[in-house]
Amino acid sequence: MAQSTFRIFFSTGAWLVLAFLLLPILVVIPVSLTDTSYIGLPKEGLSLQHYAAYFQSPGWMAATWTSIWIGLVVAALATAFGTAFAIGCWFLSDRASTVARWILITPILVPPVVQSLGFYRFWVTLGLIDTNFGVILAHTLLALPYVSISVFAALANLDRRIPQAARSLGASVWQTVRAVVVPAAIPGMITGAIFAFIVSFDEIVGVLFITVRNVTTLPKKIWEGIQEDIDPTIASVATMLVVLTLIVTAIRILRK
Amino acid sequence: MTDPILSIRNAVKTYGKINALDRVDLDVADGEFLTLLGPSGSGKTTLLTAIAGFAPLTSGTVSLRGKNISGEPPEHRGFGMVFQGYALFPTMSVRDNVAFPLRVRKRPKSEVDARVEECLDLVQMNAFADRMPSQLSGGQQQRIALARALSFKPQVLLLDEPLSALDKKLRADLQWELKALHDRLGVTFIYVTHDQDEALSMSDRIVILKDGRIQQQGDPETLYNLPRTPFVADFLGKSNFMDLTVTAREATGLSCTIGNAAFPVDAPDALAIGERVKVALRPERIRLAEAGKEMLSGTVRQVSYLGERCQVIVKHEELGEILVSRPTWKVGVHPEAGLAVSFGWDRDACVVLENDENEAA
Repeated sequence: MAQSTFRIFFSTGAWLVLAFLLLPILVVIPVSLTDTSYIGLPKEGLSLQHYAAYFQSPGWMAATWTSIWIGLVVAALATAFGTAFAIGCWFLSDRASTVARWILITPILVPPVVQSLGFYRFWVTLGLIDTNFGVILAHTLLALPYVSISVFAALANLDRRIPQAARSLGASVWQTVRAVVVPAAIPGMITGAIFAFIVSFDEIVGVLFITVRNVTTLPKKIWEGIQEDIDPTIASVATMLVVLTLIVTAIRILRK
Repeated sequence: MTDPILSIRNAVKTYGKINALDRVDLDVADGEFLTLLGPSGSGKTTLLTAIAGFAPLTSGTVSLRGKNISGEPPEHRGFGMVFQGYALFPTMSVRDNVAFPLRVRKRPKSEVDARVEECLDLVQMNAFADRMPSQLSGGQQQRIALARALSFKPQVLLLDEPLSALDKKLRADLQWELKALHDRLGVTFIYVTHDQDEALSMSDRIVILKDGRIQQQGDPETLYNLPRTPFVADFLGKSNFMDLTVTAREATGLSCTIGNAAFPVDAPDALAIGERVKVALRPERIRLAEAGKEMLSGTVRQVSYLGERCQVIVKHEELGEILVSRPTWKVGVHPEAGLAVSFGWDRDACVVLENDENEAA
């Protein structure tokens, strides 16, 4: 008896928490289908007009493409540098690599506003304010720890004797890294690249600090959309992102 | 030793304050099967790692055919190496693993293919060439690791506890195979193990290490029969230890007294009468008989039947507990706990030991 009360109490609690987490995300779906011209629930019927508006708006399209290509470049750069860092650490002594790892992880620990202020100060000096390169550089720095952490995890399973074996068989350090260490790191590199893309695609605080008018990413466009006019296009963009995320997650779960 | 292939001189390796290797000198003859034997922390793996070139010595030199190679990276030394965990490349097939040393040496494809076949043949693994390492059993993986380490015809093969991850029966089979392979190829093997059976069954020479120093070295038979220190006598096989007093000196050797029985002891150097000596006695050298037939008498404490052998612990008033190991078909008595028995041994069964502190070359 007590057992079942206990179970009902906690399973109700779990569902409530889940609902609390999901409902604010899901509420954008009906809003995106509204037939009104302001943000609100549908009044007389459902309408796809705001989806059409998104695809027909040059501003929205440009922002989307900017976010995608910057995200891809950031994923490539962060994966290259993050992997190199992780492999280097893997070869270092335990103490040196622990220190290096902590330093690299700081971007995750520092509040985004503080970090963005830092970017702003430096980017002014370097003349990178409001440039694509400036955004790519900032996002690469933010994404690096995610790549390194996932490559660290992949290399944790690599037997240290395997590179030793390669060396004893005649391979130089560089050949060893290419033939043995990188193949072992690949699963971590793929995960890291996905993370890096998401970090960049999703990032807003830094973009608000270091861009003015030249560079507009999708999150910045959504932000401005809320600030300037209460256009339900934002809801349709958000819905598409939610659906896209669900599809990608579903594919990943089903593949396992 | 006329022309050593490998010479180690005054090798020292320190980790912080610990001496992993303490002034080790060692020569390895061309074509020899040399085993470095010792408990964990004895420095045997450190020595092998220094020979391989993974961790440079703190001081001292490693020379290959007279040329100092202490500063050379592992890939320039050209020693094959076989590891405890096999260390096969998990993303490469068996064939690619074995071909790896040849490919990094940029050998022509026809030569690589022929040599890979040859090496897989050597370890009877041709049928598995296209498998991935994860699809093989431990014993099969170790064979592939062996084929890989031999494919580039190294002058010296280093083996770091290669059999310790395998089960007992497979280990025994592979010992025969390794020995046969060594005899067939004539390659110098340097083999690290903590397993005395492996050391005894395969080696031309065993080097026993303890606390980073060489305790004693020699061929298996000499080491087993004439251990110099209590450590060696106990680590290589089992020994009973006795502290005796020299009571008489005869033409043939010394005599010690236990209780009221005088026992002959073979001792090489002159020991004075009245001197205390530490003596090792192998359990299988002790005879067992019914009470009164042999010189010493005791009581059976415990019996352990091992199939081929039968181990008996006999309690003697002065010597304490003595371990006796007899072939089961020839125990001498039918032992059971509490039985009064007698026991004795031949003149050459006892070995007089030095103290452990004495440094042995």
